Amino acid sequence: MSLISLQGVSKVYRVGDQEIRALDGIDLRIEEGEFVSIIGPSGSGKSTLMHLLGCLDTPTAGSMEICGREMARAGVGELARMRNREIGFVFQSFNLLPRLDVLANIELPLIYSGIPASERRERARRVAGDVGLAERLANRPSQLSGGQCQRVAIARALVNNPRIVFGDEPTGNLDSATGAMVLEMFEQLNAAGKTVVLVTHDPAIAARTRRVVEIHDGRIRRDAKA
Amino acid sequence: MNLFVAIHTGLREIGSHKFRSALSMLGIILGVSSLIATMALTRGMEEGTRTFMQQLGGLELVRVTPKEPSADMFDFAVLSPGCTLRDAEAILANAPLISHVSPELTLRTTVSREDGGGPERWTVTGVMPGYFVIGMHSLAAGRFLTDLDSSHGSRCVVLGHTVASELWPGVSPEDIAGRHVLVDGAPFEVVGVLDLYEREEDKRARQAGRKVSTRRWDPFRSKNQAVLIPFSTMFHEFLSGKFPEDSMHTMKLDALTVRVGDLSRFPAALEQVRAVLNQTHRGVDDFELDTREDWFDRVESNMRAARLSGGLISAISLVVGAIGIMNIMLASISERIREIGIRLAVGARPGDIFLQILVESVLVSAIGGVLGIGASLGLVEVLKSISPSENVPVITAGGVVFSVIFALVAGLLSGIYPGLKASRLNPINALRYE
Ligand SMILES: Nc1ncnc2c1ncn2[C@@H]1O[C@H](COP(=O)(O)OP(=O)(O)O)[C@@H](O)[C@H]1O
Ligand SMILES: [Mg+2]
Repeated sequence: MSLISLQGVSKVYRVGDQEIRALDGIDLRIEEGEFVSIIGPSGSGKSTLMHLLGCLDTPTAGSMEICGREMARAGVGELARMRNREIGFVFQSFNLLPRLDVLANIELPLIYSGIPASERRERARRVAGDVGLAERLANRPSQLSGGQCQRVAIARALVNNPRIVFGDEPTGNLDSATGAMVLEMFEQLNAAGKTVVLVTHDPAIAARTRRVVEIHDGRIRRDAKA
Repeated sequence: MNLFVAIHTGLREIGSHKFRSALSMLGIILGVSSLIATMALTRGMEEGTRTFMQQLGGLELVRVTPKEPSADMFDFAVLSPGCTLRDAEAILANAPLISHVSPELTLRTTVSREDGGGPERWTVTGVMPGYFVIGMHSLAAGRFLTDLDSSHGSRCVVLGHTVASELWPGVSPEDIAGRHVLVDGAPFEVVGVLDLYEREEDKRARQAGRKVSTRRWDPFRSKNQAVLIPFSTMFHEFLSGKFPEDSMHTMKLDALTVRVGDLSRFPAALEQVRAVLNQTHRGVDDFELDTREDWFDRVESNMRAARLSGGLISAISLVVGAIGIMNIMLASISERIREIGIRLAVGARPGDIFLQILVESVLVSAIGGVLGIGASLGLVEVLKSISPSENVPVITAGGVVFSVIFALVAGLLSGIYPGLKASRLNPINALRYE
């Protein structure tokens, strides 16, 4: 039983009377503990696929099983639960709350798991230490560098101890040195047993993952396991 | 997300947008304070009117007035002796639900100081001691007339405040008690002086040192301009000579008032009086019982109308305030779509987002409500000093609680639509929003 299993998944956007087939019949299986990168040209549907995998959206057609649950027809509450408990999502543009400090940003998912305040603090602090942010807990995102922001986002993705971590071009907004550092963190996560799926357009990054899925015009063109 | 976190988040949100929050609170502050002030104002009016009514004898006072007998009784009208002292005695003896009876004989005549100074024509009234209870009179100095005064036919008099101060301007009531006056030339001892009865606004004007207009109609005329002597003295000194064919018991009274002892048995008491008077008047219906219920009812319904219209206007301003909150919540949501997207992305359910917006809106109205209470204190102070109303506004706990609950409900309702709108956002669209 795969951790993630997609069959005939399509996503169609309707803009006016025009149909945009962002994903077209995707079949994909990802096993627990895999480290997968998704590559492809811009506009090929990588982000759309990640949003479906991350339970941020639902497909137009097809079936999508994640952690043993059918998510293609799931309700908003079920999707929210999955995002909260089983999935950590790291965006290209960090998506931190500007008015909250680092600690409060990392805590955010735990608020929606109903975890009491003291335990929230404690866990957020521990994860912040893991990503090397112990000294910056009281800072606002605007006072941090891009690399530090992305580390806050990674800590937030990890704080609820999810089984899967997704990254949609997590190094896209970073210079190559910080990008390499962030990538290293994903590698460590995978080494620690988490399933990691990254979108990237950098072949060098893709070369470091054991499996590369290449997408073109909403279809999987190549699925190479090293 | 639990309520505590939602409140905490809401407070932080309000705090980080102070100007916007203050603006949306303004409507609630104005609404709550004007609602409280309106309720205080009508409450003050009510209390003022109630004291006024009390001072005039209250609901317990019933007046027996003569009237034309009905047509079928007209031929027998001569059989009735009319309203006399006998009626008063009969009521006192046979109507146990009546606690006091006061027959009155009046005479308009000259009252002056002993030396003949300050002569003026006043209405002199011969009364029984029950008069003081029925009219709820109170004394500035001295005593009321007693049963002994009545039975002896003593020459003693109780003066209203206006009469006393016109006879002896600037002299205190304590000093006036014990002096003598001439009533129609006969010397009387002043045994008591009544309190000054005045309207609330006159009292405040006087206390503030302003001149009180004396030209206006004085609702307490009957008290302030009273010249009261024992009933028997009135008859023997002044009336028996003029009406030699009458005895004290057959003399037609100018007024007869009674006091109902227990208001809860008001109709039964009236029935007793009617039964007694039917006997003494030999079945002729040449009298009426004049109660104040109609008058009181009219006053009450006016008050209700005032309360309702004032409340309605304030309630409208609260609703306007609530619409203001809703407006600003909607505006703040479009400003916060990204934030909502981020919260949804990390696992917030639509219900969490809804709760957060709703709590924020209720918090705005709650803080506005509390500030509104403060503002109402100031508003009432202003009203006290400038309002031409004769009655001091009274802030009541009920008014405050009602207004704040109203404000909270307004906040709750105005949060529902923005909350629903926010909770229906799709995470991806919200995250993409610029
Ligand atoms: N919300 C949307 N509405 C309409 N079209 C969209 C939407 N999101 C993505 N698309 C379209 O779907 C296609 C795939 O987009 P995307 O998944 O973002 O590509 P990538 O991440 O690979 O660059 C593009 O043609 C894009 O214009
Ligand atoms: Mg993309």
